[in-house]
Amino acid sequence: MNDTTSATGATRASSSDPTTRLADPTPGGAAPVARVRDVTKSFGEGEGRVDALRGVSLDLPAGRFTAVMGPSGSGKSTLMHITAGLDSATSGRVLLGDTDITGLDDTQLTLLRRRRIGFVFQAFNLVPTLDVSANIELPFRLDGRRATADERAWIDRLVGTLGLGARLTHRPHQLSGGQQQRVAIARALATRPDLVFADEPTGALDSKAGRDVLEVLRTATTDHGQSIAMVTHDPVAASYADRVVFLADGRIVHEIDRSSAAEISGVMLDLERVA
Amino acid sequence: MSARDQLLEHRPSIVVAGLGTTFGVGLLGVTHVLEQVVADSAVASSGTVSTLLGAVASVFVGLALYVGAIVTANTFATVVAGRTPTIALMRLLGSSARDQRRAVAREGLLVGLAGAVIGVVVGVALVVVAVRVLVAQGHLPDLAYSYVSVGGLVPAVAVVLTTVAAAWVGSRRVLLVTPLQATDAAQDVPLSGRNRRVVRTVFAALLVVGGGLSLVAGVVVGLADVTGVLVAFAGGVLSFTGVVVGSHALMPAVLHAVGRAFGPSQVARLAAENAVRQPERSTRATIGVVIGVTLVTTLSVALETLRTFIHTLEQDPTYAAELDRFFSTTLLVVAGLVGFSAVIAAVGMVNDMSLSVLQRRRELGLLRAVGSTAGQVRRMILLEATQMASTAIVVGVVLGVVYGWAGAQALLGSANDGALIAPTLPVPLLVGLALTAAVLAGVAALVPARRATSVTPVEALAAR
Repeated sequence: MNDTTSATGATRASSSDPTTRLADPTPGGAAPVARVRDVTKSFGEGEGRVDALRGVSLDLPAGRFTAVMGPSGSGKSTLMHITAGLDSATSGRVLLGDTDITGLDDTQLTLLRRRRIGFVFQAFNLVPTLDVSANIELPFRLDGRRATADERAWIDRLVGTLGLGARLTHRPHQLSGGQQQRVAIARALATRPDLVFADEPTGALDSKAGRDVLEVLRTATTDHGQSIAMVTHDPVAASYADRVVFLADGRIVHEIDRSSAAEISGVMLDLERVA
Repeated sequence: MSARDQLLEHRPSIVVAGLGTTFGVGLLGVTHVLEQVVADSAVASSGTVSTLLGAVASVFVGLALYVGAIVTANTFATVVAGRTPTIALMRLLGSSARDQRRAVAREGLLVGLAGAVIGVVVGVALVVVAVRVLVAQGHLPDLAYSYVSVGGLVPAVAVVLTTVAAAWVGSRRVLLVTPLQATDAAQDVPLSGRNRRVVRTVFAALLVVGGGLSLVAGVVVGLADVTGVLVAFAGGVLSFTGVVVGSHALMPAVLHAVGRAFGPSQVARLAAENAVRQPERSTRATIGVVIGVTLVTTLSVALETLRTFIHTLEQDPTYAAELDRFFSTTLLVVAGLVGFSAVIAAVGMVNDMSLSVLQRRRELGLLRAVGSTAGQVRRMILLEATQMASTAIVVGVVLGVVYGWAGAQALLGSANDGALIAPTLPVPLLVGLALTAAVLAGVAALVPARRATSVTPVEALAAR
């Protein structure tokens, strides 16, 4: 059961390995951790065809917290799924670091997700049969290994910061929704991935627990330079991001830097009016 | 839910009911025909013979129906678990839990009726064909046979009743569904409730201990006197009843231990946890196979040990060969009759795997998202199935060897001058069972594994 010898090559330490993160930051600004180029995505054929994405290009800067907003059906989730290697584009290219992930097969994509991307979904983030500790270590264990001493120290720190120390042997159903999301965040950050992808991470939480989760994500970026992309339709959640990208009808229609929830709501309302 | 979906969900239960009825009607039909042959040959004791035949057949049919009922109860419980959101919605809209449960029981009635009708037709047809073939070959006299007696249809009625009862037992969880679950199906329902069946566990333990002591006593008495076999038989029946009654405690523990033997890898660990995540479901999925394998192994070991012992006494090669033939035939017939229950149980195990993987689509999607390869997911499902199949068969073989040896020892101890006799292990049977375990695991895992990895992680995550 050992998948460390993978189709994508050797370990991350090797500099020639295409799966290592992008070096070569461009001077004067953060190099993008992910680049989306003219991506389209269609579902169905003929009459019933739905174009979820109609030519989207987007850079996700490294070390920044980017929010992707848009009304239901705008294609924001589809865009993020494709960027994170969970789904394939109909056309266009997605680069994670220097890796063109549009050309990868299923196993290569899986290893990419395991080693280079962290996930936090709206709900059902945790494997119910595993305790908190095993859920956090899942990406390492799936790689057929234990966390190294260095990784172990990082996980311990995350567990401490997220206040999960007393919960490590609990099963997911013994935790509150907010605690479950914090475990998911710990897992997502544990591998120090190139990009953490959060899909409505506060959607199932009450506002207090939601604010805590957003604060944790915010801190991961400010304190550790973690690149994060978050899909949300909640202006309060988006106000924690460095940058907000607006999607409507499968196209990027607007983009603003860090703003208050009120300003973001204003943009959303304007977009609704135009539509 | 459309009628077609319901039919699909219940197809395995209809198969189980149909198999049980076919077996029952067929076996009683054969018995009925044999009675007519015996009556025709005008043996003085024909009445005794037919009573005896009927009694023996009833035991085998009863066993098959019992195993079938366990399997069906499990299938219904699994189906109900999968329907939780729908049931919750109905509760939200004002339907009572009792109404919902009655609806499930009604489906059980329909399933039982469908299976019984199919089984009667197939069972009678098989008997007719078999008898005509045997008559044509001159093995049976050409009489004007009646193929079905009124009593011969009792299995069909029994199947309908046991299926309804099984549906009722299996639908117990309907009562636990709250209307609130319709509004939030996002959270995984906590693993099935704590086992608070203390009385049942204690009762089972008493049966196992008491029966076990009686078994030992039988062996000891048997060293001096042949009546020890009766004491041992009573001990065997009691203790095995204890094993079945206490299976809710035994099977998860053994499954857990076997799961650990598969190693510490993440895939093996997940598989091991999955196999015991619903202890009640896993217990019911495996105990039927345990019952079948235990009985077949008991009979084989007892007969083989008996044969070996007689061979040591009997030096005449002609007589020895005849004896071998007799033992082989007896073993084959009895194993076939008991084995049918194991087949029904195996259908149940395959079905359980299939449904439980289907209901875990979202979790499998999560695993794929965070980095399980399709191969890892498939291996996990295969390991889970292997764990269930091998556990059931290993437990059955161990129990069977103990019971079979104890029986033979109690019977032959006095003839062996009060000395112990080594059990003779039926090697072909053991090899056959090992192969069966492998095939069963493969079949149980094949379809669910392919289905689980044929969708993208996104599709799986979106599943309810």
